[in-house]
Amino acid sequence: MVVLRAGLCPGLTEEMIQLLRANDIRTVVDFVSSDLEDVAQKCSLSYKVLVAVRRVLLAQFSAFPANGADLYEELKSSTAILPTGSPSLDQLLDSGLYTGEVTELMGAPGSGKTQVCLGIAGSVSLGLKQHVLFLDSTGGFTASRLYQMLRAQAEDEEEQAALQRIQVVRVFDVYEMLSALQELRDRLSQQVVSSAGPFKIVVIDSVSAVIYPLLGGKQSEGLAIMMQLARELKTLAREFSLAVVVTNQVTRDSSTGPLKPALGRSWSFVPSTRVLLESKEAAWEKATTQRVASLAKSPRQPTGIQVELDIG
Amino acid sequence: KLLARLEGRSSLKNLEPSLFAEEGSPVHGDVVEFHGPEGTGKTEMLYHLIARCIIPKSGGGLEVEVMFIDTDYHFDMLRLVTILENRLAQRTEEIIKRCLGRLFLVNCNSSTQLLLTLYSLENMFCTHPSLCLLILDSISAFYWIDRSNGGESLKLQEMNLKKCANFLEKLVREHHLALFATTQTLMQKSTNSVESFFPFKLQHETDTDYRPYLCKSWQQMVTHRIFFSKQCNSGNSKGFTVISCHLKRNHVVKRSFTVAECGVQF
Repeated sequence: MVVLRAGLCPGLTEEMIQLLRANDIRTVVDFVSSDLEDVAQKCSLSYKVLVAVRRVLLAQFSAFPANGADLYEELKSSTAILPTGSPSLDQLLDSGLYTGEVTELMGAPGSGKTQVCLGIAGSVSLGLKQHVLFLDSTGGFTASRLYQMLRAQAEDEEEQAALQRIQVVRVFDVYEMLSALQELRDRLSQQVVSSAGPFKIVVIDSVSAVIYPLLGGKQSEGLAIMMQLARELKTLAREFSLAVVVTNQVTRDSSTGPLKPALGRSWSFVPSTRVLLESKEAAWEKATTQRVASLAKSPRQPTGIQVELDIG
Repeated sequence: KLLARLEGRSSLKNLEPSLFAEEGSPVHGDVVEFHGPEGTGKTEMLYHLIARCIIPKSGGGLEVEVMFIDTDYHFDMLRLVTILENRLAQRTEEIIKRCLGRLFLVNCNSSTQLLLTLYSLENMFCTHPSLCLLILDSISAFYWIDRSNGGESLKLQEMNLKKCANFLEKLVREHHLALFATTQTLMQKSTNSVESFFPFKLQHETDTDYRPYLCKSWQQMVTHRIFFSKQCNSGNSKGFTVISCHLKRNHVVKRSFTVAECGVQF
């Protein structure tokens, strides 16, 4: 709701604002949607001037259409596929994590979501030598575990450098998460060419931990904040060509129904790809590192494919 | 220019006959709503329609231009290119780019920006006579945010969407477009017995998981409502169903489709 004020665009003077306000035109939307001939008469302003101002306001506040061919060219050069660190998971995801998209990992507690996230962070940092932003809302990030995983794959000096490329921010509510994302956005907008390599991935473990406290009470406010967060994640992914990975819990409709992602219907539309992590059935007695990952939603592959993972 | 527009007018009838309950649909001026829960094939169907439009006549397409307004940041260009590559006999870069040149994309971040963008797009419709398909994915994207911003007043909550709906109707009418918009199933179908006494409830609404929540202005301008759902056969995880309703004449048709590498197949 942008309010009209002098200097908002060239040609919009204080006297004009006063005249418009006297006729109930206060915001940009009011101005753009009114009949300019009518306004010109009532406010005794020049029709030509009003048309010119309208054109400038629209150019300033509306979105600009792009041509499909141009967009395709851009995407070809900016889209990357990031390895998750686990070849079978990469296969499930049609080569890996695509930039420009939000990918969701869902699973019950103990299903291995945090481990997979650590694996992804390690793989991108060590393998691609790129920076990673890890937003931790559960307190589950342990640097020592990550160090262990890197040690197993890296050579001597590399794991220190790899750890340094992973930035961990602990966030405990949705506002902290939103402000961490805003900080990221500011940093990326100002960045010219970074010598440390492009920034390509954000891992969020988990998104349900910060959203759950908001849902259920005064329903629409919590849902609105959740959708703001969803919007922020998707625009970050698109505008800066990032891969965004989020983790979520699971629920069931009834005690025998299929597992579905938590956070409800509105959230279910947000990720482009969704992977379900489960323990293998035979592993009830002993704790193993074997997991089963199934593809629940994908823009590219048929759903239902399953692979086995070792998160050890 | 008028002749070009008249010629474009008859060409949309072959867009996708399986989607519609009546022959000869869609015509210019139609407003089609795709409704369904996530993962039911709405976006794939949109890619299918786009491909049908932008592929040249020599390739079996309609060779018309499409305007795609994306409010969800959901559009996957690489997927569209895969579909095009599978449908064209000659898959050269040159031909793909020419097809894509007939597609225009806009991203909108709020209902206010959507409204202002619609105003500024009006000019484009005037200057591009072969632009006759407008797609809006999705029109329900700002529902919760608008509801929260509007506070307690339903009127304020719905104000932006109402203005968008009214302006869309004007655009569709004046420039002879066909509008396809998706809405997401955000709410559970009401099992309230009072609602089931509502005399004007159409047959299709009781069969499907549909609970209207967008403003009246939008609901009244829709001419066809198409419901998407997954088929529940145990063996077939790739099948989807559409239930297509012509709202004015109350014709309902049910069809199924699958999604393959080349896109939607009926």
